Amino acid sequence: MPASQLIDLLWEGMLETLYMTLWSAALAYLIGLPMGVLMVVTDREGLRPMKRLNAALGAFVNLARSIPFLILLIAVIPLTRAIVGRIVGSTATIVPLTLSAAPFIARLVESSLKEVDAGMVLAARAMGATPAQIIRKVLLTEARPSLLLGAAIAVTTILGYSAMAGFVGGGGLGDIAIRYGFYRYQRDTMLWTVALLVIVVQLFQEAGARAARRIDKRI
Amino acid sequence: MGVILELRGLSKRFGQGESVLEDVSLKIGEGEIFGLIGKSGAGKSTLARCVSYLEEPTAGGVVFAGREMGALSRGELYEARRSMGMVFQQFNLLMQRSVIGNVCFPMEISGWKRRAARERALKLLETVGLSDKADAYPSTLSGGQRQRVAIARAIALSPRILLCDEATSALDPETTRGILALLRELNQNMGITILVITHEMLVVESICHRVAILDRSRVVEVGDVREVFDHPKTEAAKALVAGDGQPDRARKLLRAVEAYRDKAGLAGISAEEVLRRAGIPID
Repeated sequence: MPASQLIDLLWEGMLETLYMTLWSAALAYLIGLPMGVLMVVTDREGLRPMKRLNAALGAFVNLARSIPFLILLIAVIPLTRAIVGRIVGSTATIVPLTLSAAPFIARLVESSLKEVDAGMVLAARAMGATPAQIIRKVLLTEARPSLLLGAAIAVTTILGYSAMAGFVGGGGLGDIAIRYGFYRYQRDTMLWTVALLVIVVQLFQEAGARAARRIDKRI
Repeated sequence: MGVILELRGLSKRFGQGESVLEDVSLKIGEGEIFGLIGKSGAGKSTLARCVSYLEEPTAGGVVFAGREMGALSRGELYEARRSMGMVFQQFNLLMQRSVIGNVCFPMEISGWKRRAARERALKLLETVGLSDKADAYPSTLSGGQRQRVAIARAIALSPRILLCDEATSALDPETTRGILALLRELNQNMGITILVITHEMLVVESICHRVAILDRSRVVEVGDVREVFDHPKTEAAKALVAGDGQPDRARKLLRAVEAYRDKAGLAGISAEEVLRRAGIPID
């Protein structure tokens, strides 16, 4: 393949990959963030302990996280078709990516919020803060650096999964690696896509870590 | 003197465990500095939390400003807590907020306008002597400075009572003196009632008017600080007075020197001067 054509192909693949990854991450946070908060709030030591709900949430998250991504992708085909109208391509891939990332994100959020010093929550309660105020102004604010690091982990993980979706026509760099590298034996194309994926993952991870350090006021 | 806070037969146990507090009854008068002293494990911190119902008592109750805390709705309880300031051993400042952001926090959650809150916060920082640190972050402050910020935060809503739970226990002696002086000042100038919970006799001796001794979940003695410390009646109080270690030993030595001075007809000069004249170097 001529170099200019390869560059066009890779560029388009990368844009698709970023499109899938970032949309999935955003949507997954819409589900995962409230879930993570709920898991912390209903915990035994939480602001509103609710044993049953907490256990149910935990069990659901574990169950969802143990389903292999490719199986989930196939299992949700009817849902994907209902929402997107088609089952191949990068937009269609956003549905299973979101569903598989949300419980993972819930756990990341949960662990970030649990790092917040219990003394701060106690102080806020002593000042007459309501649980909603404590969630917004203490838990989520104090955990910001850790949440940001978690977001970098979430995005890079979703990026990896998006490449896996290439196996079933999911679009993006993974798709290119399969179609050109695997089915047409274009080893250089395959290597280039992998190299690009590595670079993008590094960039996201590094950017997340830097941003987390910058906003952290604990020095 | 009106009673601002009353504990009525307060008991607390966690689960099926042993009682942490057993039938504690106390009356704290408006405007006084009341000390609650006890060894670690006596139930002091639990008591501090039960006062504002951060922990719910298993039996008995708390009457604050004439209202039964246990009978309040959730919303009323949040309101009541806003008129009780609390200061902690570990300061518990929000580390991602600036100093002024921390002082504004209680006003923010009670719906103050941003500007009004900032103005008041600046005044409070002046009161605690930290005007120049408004935009600093807590991680850059010393322990004593952090506790001053925490005190400014605790009095932001002009509370009826200030609860200090081992507020000086993480600080060195000199910083402790500074914080105690600040508390005394707040009590004198603003008339804030203060409940000081501590394991250090020195703290109680230097600022408290009255004291209660908590021993193994129970209040065993209550009274005037001088009276209780000079004539302890119960075993627990005697042990406390005798076994407080260095500060107490220093206190006794000082009194011995003063007694000697008076006997020797030297009344009017300082204890240091007595020792100097006797050729005994201090330090």
